Amino acid sequence: MMDSLGSVTLRPWPAPQEELSQEDLLFKIEQLASERGHLRNITEQSLQEDIDAGKHVPEATVEADSADLDEKEKDAPSGQDQRDKVFKAAQEMYSHLEWAKFAATNALDLVSLVLSQDPNKRSLTFFSPNFRDQGLNQGIPFGSFGISRENHEHHNRRPEEVQRMQDLEHRQKVVAQGARMGALDSAVDEILKAAKHLEKEMRRETKYWHEIVSVSDKGWPIQRLRQNARHAPFAVRYGLPEASDHFKARGFAPLQMDKDGSIILDPTLALKPKTFRVRVSVDGNITGTSQLSVEDDFANQSLEKSIQLARDSLLEEELYYEMSLEVRHLLAYGVDFRDSVIYVDAPRLGNASQDRKLLIDCIPRNDPVAGGQGHEHDWLARNVAEALRLLLAHEHSMRLYRRSQLPPPLTARTREKPPPPLLRTLLAVIRHVEGVDSLYVYLGLVTKTLYTAGLDVALNTTRETAWASLAETLKASRKDLSATDQLLEIFMKPFDGKATLTLPTSNGVQPETLTVVTRTIIGQPTFGTEHKLTLSSAMTSDLGLFHQHKFATVEEVKSYLDWLISLHITHRLLKSEYSSYAQIRSQDPRLTVRCKESKKGEPSLKDIKVQLNDGQLKATLMAADSPPESDDAEQSHTWSGPDDNAALREVIRNWVG
Amino acid sequence: MHELNLYGQVTYPRYEQVLNILAGVAAMQPQRVYERRIIYKPLREPEEPGANLGRRGGTQTVAQKAKQQAAPVVLYYTYLTQKLTEDDFFAQDSVNSLSAWVEDGEEPVWSQAFYDVPDTGDRGVSIRFTNTTDLLSGDPHAHMIASGPNQFVTEFYEEGYRFVHGNVIIFLHRMLHEPGARNIQKSPKVKIPAWADLQLVDPSGAYVFDATVRVEDFNNAVVLEAGVNELKKFQTQMKGCVNLALPDRLALDTRVKYKPSPAPATQARPR
Repeated sequence: MMDSLGSVTLRPWPAPQEELSQEDLLFKIEQLASERGHLRNITEQSLQEDIDAGKHVPEATVEADSADLDEKEKDAPSGQDQRDKVFKAAQEMYSHLEWAKFAATNALDLVSLVLSQDPNKRSLTFFSPNFRDQGLNQGIPFGSFGISRENHEHHNRRPEEVQRMQDLEHRQKVVAQGARMGALDSAVDEILKAAKHLEKEMRRETKYWHEIVSVSDKGWPIQRLRQNARHAPFAVRYGLPEASDHFKARGFAPLQMDKDGSIILDPTLALKPKTFRVRVSVDGNITGTSQLSVEDDFANQSLEKSIQLARDSLLEEELYYEMSLEVRHLLAYGVDFRDSVIYVDAPRLGNASQDRKLLIDCIPRNDPVAGGQGHEHDWLARNVAEALRLLLAHEHSMRLYRRSQLPPPLTARTREKPPPPLLRTLLAVIRHVEGVDSLYVYLGLVTKTLYTAGLDVALNTTRETAWASLAETLKASRKDLSATDQLLEIFMKPFDGKATLTLPTSNGVQPETLTVVTRTIIGQPTFGTEHKLTLSSAMTSDLGLFHQHKFATVEEVKSYLDWLISLHITHRLLKSEYSSYAQIRSQDPRLTVRCKESKKGEPSLKDIKVQLNDGQLKATLMAADSPPESDDAEQSHTWSGPDDNAALREVIRNWVG
Repeated sequence: MHELNLYGQVTYPRYEQVLNILAGVAAMQPQRVYERRIIYKPLREPEEPGANLGRRGGTQTVAQKAKQQAAPVVLYYTYLTQKLTEDDFFAQDSVNSLSAWVEDGEEPVWSQAFYDVPDTGDRGVSIRFTNTTDLLSGDPHAHMIASGPNQFVTEFYEEGYRFVHGNVIIFLHRMLHEPGARNIQKSPKVKIPAWADLQLVDPSGAYVFDATVRVEDFNNAVVLEAGVNELKKFQTQMKGCVNLALPDRLALDTRVKYKPSPAPATQARPR
């Protein structure tokens, strides 16, 4: 009934209008019968009444179902619960009965099996059919189950057996105790060991950290490491931040932990520090070195000290490396690279015969200073070495400066880094100073001589214009560059020396000036030192010369200036003095003058020749039109030093009259 | 020259931290930058689209057919940039006129800049054509008025920090302007206003983070790729510090919107 009710509610509502099949119809009738009683009693009217009365299940059917449930009708809300209850009760009863039957047959089978020990009491009929089928027929023999009765209460063990058991128990107890003691013992050992280890580790860590802190306090940047973090958790960076790539990578060393926690230096740090050495050689003999003797012992020195040494060594090595690269471009300037030594020509002023060279190399720092060599040029070697170091340091800060500028837009051409001008600067300084100094010594000599000869000559020299105005340049300093860098930047530029020689003129109003500009560039366009002589425009037109002349060596300038000054004296000064009497007949510095010395009144022609050579002024009176090389001087006078007080004009006036 | 750009923003409380990070990344100290920017608008009427086609006669049309593909002329706003120093904002001396004159070998102070609309291509960075011309002498404002002809629109100031990281130029800056003065101004100020008179355009004080790579050989794919990669590498490097993003292309539009003044009645479209 329950099932059928359920199936009704599950039906979709309203029911489909389709024709019911025969089975469905039968099913419906069955359902109706169970719900409403016989088909005959069900009319539309009765159903309507039921609905109006609010009853889903007609009372009649419930009444008809069972009479004895009538009393409980009031308690039970519906017939369905009732039916449930009954069904459950029936099921329970059935299961109890089943259980009872099972127990009974079991008991029967057990008793029969026990009895079957007796052959007389063996019969299949004694057993339950079930046991017969599944037990006996499957091979359970008769009499296979026995029952006996015994009394165990008064069982006594024999004394030796008791003894043995007690012994065993005792022994087991002792063994257990011993084992426990042994375990405790080893545990204590382990803990002690661990404590000792911990203590050691702690000491080690403390020491390591102390050293790290002391390194860090000295200002070295400490960096954490990712790989091998167990043995070397930290590394120190001592390389210079703007070093070239190769050296930058080397400026970094892990700080490894030793057994006792002190820091072991990494191989890169522990490498023998190198130093950069400049030696001066004169005619093949070493006469000066920049090397200082180092007596300290590398094995036991503080960590900071060795880091510092490594840093220094890195700078020196980079310096040497950069210079050895630079040598390749400088072979034409007398720079040579042999056996890891850079040879630089450094001629000395006024002593061209001496072969002075600078020898630059890189040696281990603690190499002993070679004995048996001169020390008179130690100052030079040290200054050169310091200058080169300064130049590299300057290059480093310029690298940062260049890096900070706006980069040019990307192009297909890669920007090439020019090698830093270290040797070039050194060469330029040596050459410039040498060239300028020798020129100015000569000019000074000439000036002095001319002055003693009564000619009003003034000399003004500046070895390097930028050096001269250094203070002003630095005062108006740029913000983006430090003063040191601005100072050193001056050395990167071409050197310009300037000498102005003021010569007297005939009228004395407007002095004539000769300007010699000495420019030194190691590279384009002059490839060395160049002297540019500029003549005043009056001189150019009077003497018929070019306005500008360029010379490569000091010797050329000297000889040209000698000729030029003597020409100026003869063709301009003396010519204007004896204006109508004088005559210029050649391009040589000689003047043909009509002399009045002959008493007959017939003028004789005499040549006056003026020669300037090595700071000596020589005036010669000779017969006119004599060949230039002839030595038949009628009269001559030479000015060579300050002790002579005869003026040139006077001397010549005396001659000429 | 082309510019590859990525932009980000740094709020005021964070900018000091970002400066420190950038100083580490670029391994250099920040460079203080002050700039004045003046915007000019061309006065010229853009040629009407299709005006160059020559509609006058049949035969002429045939002859000029090839020219029909020419893009309509668009006009752009241009900038005038003046590099300033901090002292300029406190300078007391009065100057009578603007002058772009600089000594030989000195860096030019004034420059004229043109920025195109960013390219449409999708490379993950903003790419646009720019052109900067340094002015070495003369009155820059007069120059701008005459060459165009242009009209002064407005001026503003930029202060910030610049870093250079390889080829990436990092410019962390914010904009300032003089409040109130803009509407009545007809030409750029000759005297730089005092620093205290300037106000931030963004009152929160946030900085604009501008990462730029400049590319000369734009048509060389290798060079362009290298530039884009360098900028993107920097972008990933800065991840977690500053979020660098591709700006909206049309937000960087520099074109002048063309409004034909006399609208014929026939062109009025029903809505």
